[in-house]
Amino acid sequence: MERLLPDEIVTQVRQIFEKLVNPVQVDLFISEDRSDTCEPTRQLLEEVIPLSDKLSLVVHDLKAEPEMAQLYKVEGKAPAIVVNARDGQTVTDYGIRYLGVPSGHEFSTLINDLLMVSNRDSGLSPEMRTYLKGLTQPLHMEVFTTPT
Amino acid sequence: MLAHAMAMENPKMILAEGVGAMEFYELSEKYGIGAVPDTVVNEGEHRVVGAVPENYMLSELKQLAK
Repeated sequence: MERLLPDEIVTQVRQIFEKLVNPVQVDLFISEDRSDTCEPTRQLLEEVIPLSDKLSLVVHDLKAEPEMAQLYKVEGKAPAIVVNARDGQTVTDYGIRYLGVPSGHEFSTLINDLLMVSNRDSGLSPEMRTYLKGLTQPLHMEVFTTPT
Repeated sequence: MLAHAMAMENPKMILAEGVGAMEFYELSEKYGIGAVPDTVVNEGEHRVVGAVPENYMLSELKQLAK
């Protein structure tokens, strides 16, 4: 299959990935009936994740693994990308999801998310951190984006 | 993504989904998404349009009922 990422992007991403600190596990949920968007997403991740040994990819079938889909709150949503921290055998869900094909601007978002999770640091201000840690009600944010 | 950074701070309470507006067209339609980025908070309880700075997002969220 023809590669999605041009050589110069691969070189750039490799350089950026030199800054990765701790392991990150990306879980991708795909579905056959959404193959038009799931397949390019899978291919993109299969090209990006091997560019660093700190990164790993686990691909799930949404319908074959309903318990996993429920655990990650991605039922009926494909493609769904989950960016998890991994420490040894322990995988930590940071509540980070991307639903859709991470192309264009969202490709940069993905790369930045990988770095952020690898650093185990949100980089947020003390005020924001205090507010978020003090939440007493669940907070659900759906950030709608387009590639351009 | 700011929302993703926010989720990291309290993942038991926060779910932050980036959503491709074209790939999830029905969801976009449901919320009437026009300009992006558009952050839908708690199924439409609040909306924050645009790529806003962190302090602005914080002040918007503080208006939500605790």
